[in-house]
Formats: sequence, C-alpha cells, structure tokens
Amino acid sequence: MLPQASSRGPGQGECPRRIPALSRAAAVTAVLALGVTGCASLTTSATEVGGVRMTDERPARDGGTLTVALKSDPDKLDPSLGSTLVGRSVFASMCQKLYDTDARNRIRPQLAAGMPEVSDGGRKVVIEVRRGARFSDGTPLNAEAVETSLRRHRDLPESARSSELEPVKSIEATGGDKVELRLKEPYEPLLGALADRSGMVMSPRALKKYGEDFATHPSCVGPFRFKERVTGDRIVLEKDPNYYDASRVHLRKVVYRTIVDGNVRLANLRSGDAQISDQTAPLEVQSALTDDTLQVFNSPTLGYQGLTVNIGNSRGLGKKPGKVNSSLARDGRIREAFALSLDRALINKIVFQGMYDTACGPVAPSSELGTKMRCPGRDLGRARQLLREAGEKGRVPVELTISNTVEDMRLGQVVQAMAKDAGFQVKLRPTEFTTLLEHADKGDFEAVSVGWSGRLDPAGNIDAFAATLGSENRSGISDERIDSLIEDGRRTADPDERREIYRDVTAAINDEHALIYLYRQRNYVVTTKEIAGLRVYGDGLIRVENAGYARGGDAGGKTGADTEARSR
Amino acid sequence: MTRYALRRLGQSAVTLVLVSIVVFLGVRAMPGDTARALAGEETNPKALEAIRHQYGLDQNIAVQYGRYVEQAVTGDLGTSARTGLPVVDAIFEALPVTLELALLSLLLAVVVGIGAGVVAAVRRGRPAEWFANTLALLGLSVPNFWLGIVLILGFAIAVPVFAASGFVPFGTDPLENLRRMVLPVVVLGSGLAAIVMRQTRAAMLESLSADYVRTARAKGLAPHQVVGGHALRNSLVTVVTVLGLQLGHLISGAVVTEQIFVLPGFGKLMIDAVFTRDYAMVQGVVLFTAAGYILVNLAVDLLYSVIDPRIRLGGAP
Repeated sequence: MLPQASSRGPGQGECPRRIPALSRAAAVTAVLALGVTGCASLTTSATEVGGVRMTDERPARDGGTLTVALKSDPDKLDPSLGSTLVGRSVFASMCQKLYDTDARNRIRPQLAAGMPEVSDGGRKVVIEVRRGARFSDGTPLNAEAVETSLRRHRDLPESARSSELEPVKSIEATGGDKVELRLKEPYEPLLGALADRSGMVMSPRALKKYGEDFATHPSCVGPFRFKERVTGDRIVLEKDPNYYDASRVHLRKVVYRTIVDGNVRLANLRSGDAQISDQTAPLEVQSALTDDTLQVFNSPTLGYQGLTVNIGNSRGLGKKPGKVNSSLARDGRIREAFALSLDRALINKIVFQGMYDTACGPVAPSSELGTKMRCPGRDLGRARQLLREAGEKGRVPVELTISNTVEDMRLGQVVQAMAKDAGFQVKLRPTEFTTLLEHADKGDFEAVSVGWSGRLDPAGNIDAFAATLGSENRSGISDERIDSLIEDGRRTADPDERREIYRDVTAAINDEHALIYLYRQRNYVVTTKEIAGLRVYGDGLIRVENAGYARGGDAGGKTGADTEARSR
Repeated sequence: MTRYALRRLGQSAVTLVLVSIVVFLGVRAMPGDTARALAGEETNPKALEAIRHQYGLDQNIAVQYGRYVEQAVTGDLGTSARTGLPVVDAIFEALPVTLELALLSLLLAVVVGIGAGVVAAVRRGRPAEWFANTLALLGLSVPNFWLGIVLILGFAIAVPVFAASGFVPFGTDPLENLRRMVLPVVVLGSGLAAIVMRQTRAAMLESLSADYVRTARAKGLAPHQVVGGHALRNSLVTVVTVLGLQLGHLISGAVVTEQIFVLPGFGKLMIDAVFTRDYAMVQGVVLFTAAGYILVNLAVDLLYSVIDPRIRLGGAP
C-alpha cells in the first residue's frame, strides 16, 4: 500500500476570515505566479510512491457521475478498429471480453463460462459462452453473437485484430452456447488475444444496423452503455440496466474527458472537475503525493521501452533484412559497447525520478510467464575494450532518433552523455512521433528510441519484433535460433516449458544487442480520495465497474455529478 | 457599395478555393503516414492497405482533391478518420464554443484596451499611464499557458470561484456558462487587450494633438466631448483594423487556451486532428477558419465607411 501523503504545507492551510475570497485568490495567484515555474522537483518521504497498488476495496455508495481525465482522445469505439490505450480504457467500461485478466495478470473468464477446452494437439479450441447476459441494446449474448464478432475481428479488411486472429482457420457456433475455433497450427497466444479487444463481443443487431458506423453507436455487454460522444471533448457512458451484474455497479454515469496536459489533468482533480487522471507522468505523480485529497494507484506495465538499433532493416518492414551501413550495424561488439555504456538505474533516476523499473528483456517480470532478471551494470572499461577490439580508434558516431516529447528528449540527452564516456558521439534527431514511426518502419534510422505497450502473452512482446519477417522487426534482426525459439513458444502449451523458451529467446535477443531494453513504465493513475472500488491492473486499464463515491466519506464538495449533467 | 461588396465576395470565393488547395496539399505534405497514425501499434500491412483504400489515400492526389471538392460543395466534409464521426458535426459542435470564447475575449479587449488606452493618452506622464503601460506589457509578455495554469490554481482550486475546465452552453445554463468562460476569456483576451491599449494610446495621442481637437476645445466643448466625440472616434479606425485582424487570430489562436481549459472548440479540434493526421478534419477546420478570416476582414472593410465618412468605397469620388 502507498504511504499516506503528508499534510498540507505552509501557506495552504486556513486563511484569516477577514480577507475576502477574491483577495485571497489574488494573493494565492500572485504567490503561485512567482513559484509555479521555479519549483525544483525534490523527492522527499512525502513523494515516495511506495509499492504496487492496484485496487481499492473500500465500499462505494450508489449513484453519482465519475469523470475520468484521459491523456488523449480515444479513436473509434469499435473493438475491431480501435488501437489506442485510452480507447481500451473506455472499452473496459462498456465492452466486455471473452476473457479478462486479474491483478496477477492471470487470464480469467469474463463473457466465457469457463476456461477453453483445447484438443487436437492445440488445433481445436472450444469456448462456452456465459448464459443470461444481454447486450446494451437488449439482444441476448449467445454463441452466434460470439461467432459474428470473432469473424469480423478476423476478416474486416481494416481490422486491427486480423493479425492476432490470423491463425484461426474457422469459427463456428456449435450449439449449446459453445463456439469452436479451428486453428491452422497450435497457437498459445490466442487466449491472451481473447483477453483483449479480439475477445470483445459486439451486438449482432447493432452490427447489422450500423455496419461500418458501429463506432458511432457501439453496443456490447458491459456495466455501462454508450450515451454520447463529442469529438475531442468527452464520451459519456451510463449504467446499463441490461448488464448481468448490474446490482454491483454503483455509478450512474462515467464521463471520459480528454485533457492532454498532465498539469491541467491534475488541476482538474484538485478543483473537483474530474476524479481520475489517467496515465500520469512521474513529476505529476510526485505532485499528487503531496496532496492529501488525492491517492495514487500504480501497477507495473507489461511493455517495455528501449533503443532499437538498425542492423538489417534496409528495405523496410516485412522485407528480408539486408546490409546497413553504420558502425552499430557493422559489428556486434560496438553495439555491446554501446549497451554497456548505459546505466539503466541512473537513467530511471534522472529521467523518471526513479519511478519506473529498469528492464533488460521483453517479458515483464509481472507477466505470468515472466522471470526476474538481473540487468547488466554499466561497464565503461569493458565497453572501451570492445571498441578497441572492433578497431574503433576515434569517437564512434551514432545518430539516435527520439520523439520530440520532453521525456524522450531528456532520455536522449542522458544516453548521449553516458555513451560519450565510452567513446561514442551520439547525435540526437528529435522527430514527431508518427514521423518517427514511419522512419523506423522504413529503416531510415541508425538507432531509435521506441517502446511497446505490452501484451499479456510474451509472444505479443517478442514475435513481431524479433522474428526475421516479424511485422515490427524494425531492427532487421535475423537469427535462425531466435526464429526457431519463437516458433516453439507459439506451439508449446506447458507454462513452465514456455517460460524456459522465452528466457532463452530473451538471452538470444540480448546477444544480438539490436534491441536494448532500458526501462518499464508503471501505470500511474491518480484519483481523488472520495473514489472507492477502483482497479488498475498491469494492462493499465481503469476498471470502474465496481467504483463509486466512498460510502460515508466526504464527497469533497463538488462531485462532478451536478456539473456534468448540464455540460456538453 | 453593393458593387464593392460583390467584388469583395468574389475575391473571397477565389481565396477560399486557393486555401482549400493549399490546405489539401499541405496536409498531405506533412511527414508521417496517415494509415500508420490511425493503425496505432498495429502494423499489419493488410490493415494499413485497407485503411488507405477506405480513405482514398491510395488514389492519386488530383482524384483525391476532386472527390473532396465534390463532397464539400454538397456540405459533406467527410468523416473523421480517427473517430468515424462526421466532420461537419464536429465543426458545428466546436464552432459555438470558439466563437463565444473569441467574442467575449474581444469584448474584454475592447473594454479594457480602449479604456486603458484612452486613459493612458489623456493622463500622459502620470501614474495612470504608467499603470496602463505596465498592464499592457504584462498582457503582451505573459504566456497564455502559464497565465492559465496560475489562474486555475488561484481561482478554481485555492478559491473555487470559477471552474477549471469544461463548457456549458449558454442556452442550457447562462450563469454556469459564464462561470466557466471567465478564466479562458481573461487568458485569451489579455494579450489582445494589451495590443488594443497600445494602438488606442498611440492613435489618441496623435488625435489629441490634431488641429480639429484644438478647434473643438477652443469652441468650449467639455473634455469628455472632445475626447469621446472627436479624438476617440477618429482613433477608432486604426483600432477597428487591429480588432478585425485579431478576431481571426482569436478564432485560430485559441488553441492553447482551449487546451488549458479543456474547451471543446476549434483550436482543440484542430490540434488533435493534426497530430492524428486526420486529413478530413484538418481540411474542414482550416476552411472554416479561413472563411472566418475572410468574412471578418470584409466586415471591417465595410465598417470603415461607417466610422470615417471620408472613406469612399467602390471608387466613388
């Protein structure tokens, strides 16, 4: 559990009553005006985030509107087409999946009645569908509805789920609330995919009625149903009376508002205009920890962040790797020297105030198949020796492409300074993120800072990035051993065997030094203390199904319920 | 007058067409693949191809423009590639927000700026002028983002007089609407008020030393009649020109203010669309903004004749 934040500091307590409110506001404004940009970030006992905190078990009372401030505007509210994390958070409230995850990243049935029956050497998967559930438009959930949704996820041309379900050869509702999936070959990551958007079931009636416009009238099974959306501003959901577990849903409405700037999100929490701030950055979390009206949830993510070195991406993604002309691509020893020049713990401390976790592999230790690894430390002596062995005499030039966000710029500068000590001359190339991805996909980079949000199954973090023809193999890595291990990982059912396989894959990838894993973010969600029953697991989604305003607690003045009802 | 207005309308139409071409090409010249931006983390080549096909991005640019114009003349600006919602709907939801913000900011700028400018000119060399000049300097130099955050901390959190964010339509709840608009209006209007104040002061100083003002004073007119009825009226020509130009800036320049106060207006719509490479949305928003500029400038041109009778339009002597 998190330590409780300290009490308010000087100047934030009560003011003498004789001073009129407006004068007081003016005085506070003046003081803030002097201090708001000049305050340095200092880590004190009050700003230590403490251990993992994913749930809040306090009971919630019925009623009220919860406003969640999202970092960006969700994309299409269509499970087949959606591709943003913020979109997934909205789906978590209105579109349930065949399977879900728990706090330990284990897969549990949600709209499925139980875990799937797997037979025929992993080629046949039978899923029994939960009985008695209804979509928000009143249509009953059944095996045919599941078949329709899974087929759409797989076959819709612009579906963002098609690659996840590509190994599925056939999908049939076989009667008795069962759906049978036939696979081309054993494919263990399927269950992980069905615990994400590929497992979301849409109302067949809504699909028939709205077709490609389903995103404007989404209808699924979930604790809340879609009410309205105003582009760039908000998405409003209301409690769904058709939901099979509606008696445990406390909130009347959930409003997702897009507030891009983290400081503004936090200010809205403090003013009572929002109750939850999604994806909060370390500096803002530290600020929240000093405020006794706020609480912080944090969970380790399933993804990773690091540097991708181009060693063979000469023709673009999906093409056979070729030769790349750069010092890093030429010799593995130079890449190893570059990796050894970096101090992961120090990077975490300087760039992220020590609030993330260091990483040296693609699979998160918090993942069910993850293992804890000891990351190699910084070794400048060894790095210089490797450069000498590689025949490098002067400074080795490296161009590092980074996105032009504040955090990435800071990361680039720290990497630049660290690598310089070993004999590298790193030139930073700040680039807008979409453009950065385009350059990275085309192979137009030497090294690039890019990460991955992570998937439940380790295959989701490895296969596409390290297989020779992987759809995200930006480094152009091509290693028969890695390819073979990846295949084994997809086919092996036994969890212990799979864990070993992914440990071996990680070692093989690290031997190439083409993917230099640096750190793993944490999901930081800040809420006002009046909110109870919230859950934030490793997938970073804000689960509000059982959330609400704490019973018997002070609502803190404005609850957001009154203002939202009128706002547009 | 009518001929002049028609001629200006014709010019405006040509300008709009040119703007549409420039925006259309400009958006496509932006680095970064739209399909990639829409696909997020997914890089399935088939899905990317399907996205390109769905939005016509796989066709040549002339065909794309032709299709866009064909739809635009019927009032259909397409659908947002990001959200799947019609662009026209998004624009008409955002437009009233930005217009209200811009008009209230303009009102604040006119009242404060002209008032302070007149006082600074009439009380030249006295504390009132120094005070007005200091305010103008602050208005010009304080960044909107910083001012917005400070005002939220002061007046929405420390003393919760106003709301930190959000918008309530005036028709739904006028008081709540104003409560939510006060801080954004102060942030957006302060810079313009400073510009107006400086323009007014400069124009007033010139007018106050003109012969006709001396004549008015010699005729025994009261000071307020000299200042208000003669000097200020003449000075307003310059001020109105500035206001006309700045209103366009207010509409398109409300981006930062809308981001800080989370107002679902034009600026926010635009910035989100640019970062997600939502071509249809960017084009629609820019066209509306351009149309706004053109209409306001037209109105200013016509207003000249009302304020200053010496100006004759349409080439009349």
